[in-house]
Order: sequence, then structure tokens, then C-alpha cells
Amino acid sequence: MNRANFVLPEIELMSSGHLGCQGCGGALAMRYVLKALGEKTVIVLPACCWTIIAGPFPYSTLKVPVLHTAFETAAVAASGVRAALDIQGDTETTVVAWAGDGGTVDIGLQSLSGAAERNENILYICYDNEAYMNTGIQRSGATPRFAWTTTTPEKNPKAERKKDIVAIMAAHRIPYTATATIAYPDDLIRKVQKAKSLQGMKFLHILAPCPPGWRIASEDAIKIARLAVQARVFPLYEIEDGERYTLNAPHEREIIPAEEYFKLQGRFAHLGPQEREQMQQEIERNWARLQRLVQMKAPSDDGA
Amino acid sequence: MGRAITFRSVAEMPPLAISLDDISHNKTGSWRYLRPVYRNKIPPCRAGCPAGNDIPRWLALVAEGRLTEAWKTIRENNPFPGITGRVCAHPCEAYCNRKEFDEPIAIAALERHVADEAFALHDEPPSGERRREKIAIVGSGPAGLSCAYFLAKQNYPVTIYEAESQPGGMLRLGIPSYRLPRDVIDKEIDDIVRLGVEIKTGYRVGRDIDLERLWASYDALFIATGAYRSRPLGIPGEELPGVLAGLDVLKAINTGRKISLGERVLVIGGGNTAMDAARTALRLGARVTVIYRRTRAEMPAIPEEIAQAEAEGVEFLFLAAPQKIERVHGRLRVHLIRMQLGEPDKSGRRRPVPLPNSEFVLEADALLKAIGEDPDLDFLAEELETSEGIVIHNERGRLSRAGIFLGGDARTGPSTVVEAIADGKAASKAIQRYLRSPSRTASALLPERFAPEKIKLNTSYFAHQARVPVLELPPEERQHGFAEVKAPLWLEDAIVEAQRCFSCGVCNACDNCRVFCPDVAISRVNGLYHVNLEYCKGCGICAAECPRGCIDLIEEGR
Repeated sequence: MNRANFVLPEIELMSSGHLGCQGCGGALAMRYVLKALGEKTVIVLPACCWTIIAGPFPYSTLKVPVLHTAFETAAVAASGVRAALDIQGDTETTVVAWAGDGGTVDIGLQSLSGAAERNENILYICYDNEAYMNTGIQRSGATPRFAWTTTTPEKNPKAERKKDIVAIMAAHRIPYTATATIAYPDDLIRKVQKAKSLQGMKFLHILAPCPPGWRIASEDAIKIARLAVQARVFPLYEIEDGERYTLNAPHEREIIPAEEYFKLQGRFAHLGPQEREQMQQEIERNWARLQRLVQMKAPSDDGA
Repeated sequence: MGRAITFRSVAEMPPLAISLDDISHNKTGSWRYLRPVYRNKIPPCRAGCPAGNDIPRWLALVAEGRLTEAWKTIRENNPFPGITGRVCAHPCEAYCNRKEFDEPIAIAALERHVADEAFALHDEPPSGERRREKIAIVGSGPAGLSCAYFLAKQNYPVTIYEAESQPGGMLRLGIPSYRLPRDVIDKEIDDIVRLGVEIKTGYRVGRDIDLERLWASYDALFIATGAYRSRPLGIPGEELPGVLAGLDVLKAINTGRKISLGERVLVIGGGNTAMDAARTALRLGARVTVIYRRTRAEMPAIPEEIAQAEAEGVEFLFLAAPQKIERVHGRLRVHLIRMQLGEPDKSGRRRPVPLPNSEFVLEADALLKAIGEDPDLDFLAEELETSEGIVIHNERGRLSRAGIFLGGDARTGPSTVVEAIADGKAASKAIQRYLRSPSRTASALLPERFAPEKIKLNTSYFAHQARVPVLELPPEERQHGFAEVKAPLWLEDAIVEAQRCFSCGVCNACDNCRVFCPDVAISRVNGLYHVNLEYCKGCGICAAECPRGCIDLIEEGR
């Protein structure tokens, strides 16, 4: 891989001047997704960081149509845009619901589940920065256990585990569910392009590090995403039809202790040895479960 | 595009809240307090090379199969890639950052590959008018030839005076052909002659031509006569028949003379001359033992040469030194004594001291002395003092008389080929400075060494991959002749090996900075990157994710 450099589509549909913070993982994720999808794309934005990043009226950061909508309505609004395009005979344009973790795993979960159940022909992307960041770093259902947020301070950090949204979506047996992150732009773009090629509901979960919220240096945004994968905190994998699991990363030889991931982040600085050990064990359990799912054979066609 | 929009009344507003422009009027560069600056750095391999070989630059060309350009790039700093690719001690590899990751790049083998592939290529003589100032060089070893090469490239007329019948100095006389085939020497000297350098062989200064006459006829002189005077052992019996200087044996064999050393040969010394003499004696059919007064760890010879000698069957006797030689019934009887290591000496190595009552005797047909050589500068005697054979001179290389410069082994004592090349290059620059100064003030000969720079690599982007093995002739086949020991690389292997280079501190347009910019503020034009400071927020991701440490973050306002 020494010289196997990233070769990404040249097209840029996100303009400079956007309002993302220094080192914003969410901004980078959007840049890659639009490189993969091209101009024929509609973005539906519920309340989230990107509501701000996209710019105030009458400006837009993106060179594709953007529909701002209410917090809980990303999936259903996207379903409506899809229906309107279909009526007009436009089957080419990709409709993307682009929501943060709060808008996905908490506030927008019912409309997301409904769209999945109806197998709407949309691409739902959750860019997960693991808290309500733009309102001031409040915990969400996607905040990891023991993490500091302004609503889960050091003395009383979050006790609950991170909600497994990928498993929830896989349980809907939608055509395609996948994880991706900004440190692996080639993998991310391949998954978006694959999702684009499939009919029905697609769900992509992108880990998007937030330097202010995670209390990391902005220059470490890519590094922390890479460490999240290598530490198996956020493995990269895809699920077809909710059944066929494929693991993309990390390879066994790349795996590092979770401590490498935690120690760089201020939001985990208060963790004692016991909590760190507990997190490591949780990661091992999740990894073992994922390994079982990958090895599990999908039921054969004649049996179905 | 990129304008700020003001609505002066509700009537000017669109009926729906719809965007009217992109957001590029918002110059986010004002947020920045750290600015990314692209700055290539001196990689450790280059800093480690006395000749300042620009290694990552030509390795990048090899990686793309552009071998002719690689050859030209090497020759900007080193006129002899075919020679150094074979016999250089390659300090560059010891500095290679890849050694911390897996194994260093096989730089020497790649350099040889480039030279072998360029065997039919030659430099174009320099364009432009020849300069008037003439330069004479005494000695056609690597230092003299290197100086001639760099001066000829600058259009100076150069004449080299060589005492022997063929040019090359130690390259030809001291280094056996199993390490350095003669056609490689001939080719790379021919390249220099093609630049217009005249080489007069058979002129020994002080015998065939007078130094004063040279000084009167030329505008500058470079003395690079090497170090050929073998040091005596300083023990009784040294003058006996069968006791020879290792270097004399090498000179004889390397110039095609037949010589017989007998069945049993002892070599005294632990340097490269000792290794060459021992391996040459082995090839003449002798059983050979190298006797060194310290241990293997202190041997000054290139470790690779020691390993090859051992593989070929040269025996080693460490911690022993000769005390007396006798000749009995036509054979040598060598009286030796065991040594032990005492306190460190000037060189930092532990001084060997004799172990009392440990005398022993070995018999041999020949004993080769190889404990070092000194420069022979008798023809300069009035001008110079020497200390332990090393010349004392002014300001590193400039002799007391203006316009005469001293370099190579003659200046430093016995050293490596690449040090001689570096000295010759430095001399060429000192001579040019001298000739161009209006008052002809002499300036010092200062070998340039690039200072290594701190380079922060991001090795996440490199995959582990073993170094390409350099194959060698099986030891049993080596014993019967002087065929080259080391095999060349295949082109495919050379390309893969060159691709292993991290290119430390040298941008190779990998695109990571552009790929990872969250603000779309980096563009690439003709392989060079440009940061749009109107928008760059100074997050620093480009610097952190640059695999080779080519981007620095500097504080704004500084």
C-alpha cells in the first residue's frame, strides 16, 4: 500500500467557506459522499451540525439541492422527495437523508424505521459524532459508555452503552447496511457507490470525529478515525439484505489495544483502569459477535 | 458566485427560503492561527551520504521504471553509480528510516541496477564556451576523477596526471574485480573523458614531471595521490622474502601480473585491504587466515566484506598479533602473541594489550601486511608537515601555497570511495571559488554534508514488505576465479524495491493532503500543491496525514 494512493473522483460539490469547525469529520464525510454520488443528488437535512455547516439563508455550501427539514423527519421527508421525483419520471437522482446521530438513533428513529419497513428507495446516511454537538455537546443514544459530554460530566459519565443502530437497521432486512469512516475515503466512496446502485432502502453509518466534542486536536481527526477502526471500536463492515455480513477492516495484523484510541481523547480522560478494562472487554465481545455474524452462512435461496 | 447578499426590503426576498449563492464569500481563512507550509526536507539517507546523493529523488524515478532519468539524477552528485553501487559502504542504508519499520531500502543494489541499465548511456559534453583557466589534477583515483568531472561539467579544461599506466587509482589497483569488474571502471572513467578531461598516464609527479612546473603552467592544482604506503609491522623479520604488503599483492593481481603466494597465507590486519588481500589469496588457491589484534566487532572493514570472506572460507584469528618472523627451510615461522582488550584509545576502540606468556607459532608460505596505508607526499615535503602520516594542512585541504589543493586519501588517510568522491566534489567547488575570486584568495576545501532534519513520518500509509535479497555467487564457485560475487537485480525487483522508499521529507504528490482537507482548500497543479489561504482554517490535518512529513505548521503572524 506504499504507493497505492487514494484516487477519488475529482468532482467537488462542497464549496470552501462552509461553517464546519477546524478538522470537522462531518464536513469531510459530506465531501466524500458527494464525490461518490455526483451532481444528481438531493440532500435532505434534519436539524444537525450540517444545518449550520450548510450555511445560513440565502447561501448554501453544497452545489446540489438541499431540503432543510425538522429533526424527526429526515427519512420521511426523503421518502416524499423520492416519490415526487418518481412521479416526474426522475429515477436517476439519488435522494439522501443526511442526519446526525441524535437525529438518527434518538429523535428520527421512528421515521427511519418506517421508511426501512416500507423499503423506500433512499440512501439514509447517519454521520455519527457521538453527541448533540452543535447545540453544545449533549449526550445522545450514540454517545459511547463512559464518555464525557456536557450532560454527562466527568463525575457522572454516561452509564449506558452506545445504541447499535447498524444492528437495528439490519434487523429491518433492508438491501444494504454499512459502516464507514473518514480515514478510509476509498472504502467510504465504494460503499456509497454500491448503495447508489441498489434499489430500496440503504443505510450508511459514518463515524465522523468531532474535534471540539471529543476533545482532540483538530489535526488528529483522521488519526482518531483510523484508530477507532484499528481498535475495533468501529469496525468497517457491510450487510446485504440484513443477513450477509462482510468485514472490511481492521485486518487481524492491524488490531491495536483500545487504549490507543481512548488516550488521545479528552472525553475519556477521566476513565480509570477499571473502566478502560471494561471497555476493552466490551469491544472484544462486540468483535466476537461480529466475527460470528460474518462466519454465519446466509440461508440458501431454495430454503427461503 | 461568492458574493455577500443583502436584502433591502422584504420584496427583494425570494418567496421561499431558498439559497441564492454558495458560501464562498465567507473567507474562513480568518479563523486560522496555524498555516500549513510545504517544505521538503533533507532525508536521513542523503544526510548520511558523504557525496550528498539525492536518493529519494532517483528512487522515485526507479519506482516508475524511469532508469535513464534516475542515472542522470544520481550523477548530479556522484559520477560513479556503477562503482559505488558495488563497493560503497553505503552509510545511507544505515540511516534509512525504513530500518525502524522493517528493513532499509537496498540503495546500493538499486544504484548498481541503474548504472548497469545505463551502461550504453553517456553524458553530453557541456554546452557553452570553455573557460580559460586550466586545472591540473595529480592522481586519477576517485577523488581526482570526481574533481575533474565536476570541473569539466562547468566547462573548465582539466588535465589529470596519473603515475600508473591506467587511470583509476585504488579503484583499479586496490579493489579486486570480483567486487568491481574492470569494464565498470573503464566505462565510468570513459564517461569523464568524454566530457573533455585529458588523462595523461605514466606521469609520476616528482619523477616524470615537476610539481613546480605544473604549478607554473596551470591556474590551480588538485593533489589526490591517495594513500599507498603500507605501514610496517615494526617487528623483526619484516624484510624477509615471503613477507609482502597486502596492497602490493592486490596491485599485482589487479594489473594482471601472475603471482604465487604458496599454500598457506597469513594476513595481518582487519580493514578492507586485509579483506581484499585475504579473498584474493584464497582465489589463488591458498588457505588463508586473517589475524587481527582486536575482535570482530572492532574490525574496520565493511561488515559485508567480512561476511563474504568468511563464507568463502577465510579463517579468522582474533586477539592475536605477530611479534617476530623467521624464515626456516623456505617457509615463514611467525611468532604471535595473544592479546586482550584494555582501556579505550583515541579512536574509542579498546586498546589491545599482549597477554603475558601466551606466545604461539604459526607457519606459512606468505604473510601479507595490511594494517593500514599512509599517503606518500614526499614530493611536497617542504610545504607540509605530517603527523602519523596524515598531512597537516591549512583550512582542511588548502595547502600553504595558494592554488594548490589536497584531497581524497592523500588528505584524510585511507578512507572510502564515497568519501574520496565527496572530497573531489568539494575540491572542485573550492577551486572554482578560488579561480573566481578577483584576488585569487584561496578558500577552504570543505566537504559539504547535509544536516539531517527532523522529519515526522506518518507510517500508517506504509505496508510492511521485505527488502529484496541481493543474490551472491555460491562461495564454492567464488574460490576458483575473480567473477563478480554479487548478482544484479531483476528490473521487476528493482521497481518493487524502489517503491518501498518512504521518500522521507520529499513530497511525491501522493495526494493525501488534498484528499483529507475538510475545507476543500488544497489544489494540485503539475504535481505541486497549493493551499488556498482564503479558506484554510488551519486544522492541520494535511500535515498530520502527510506520510513523509513535507508539511510544517507555522504560527500565523510569525
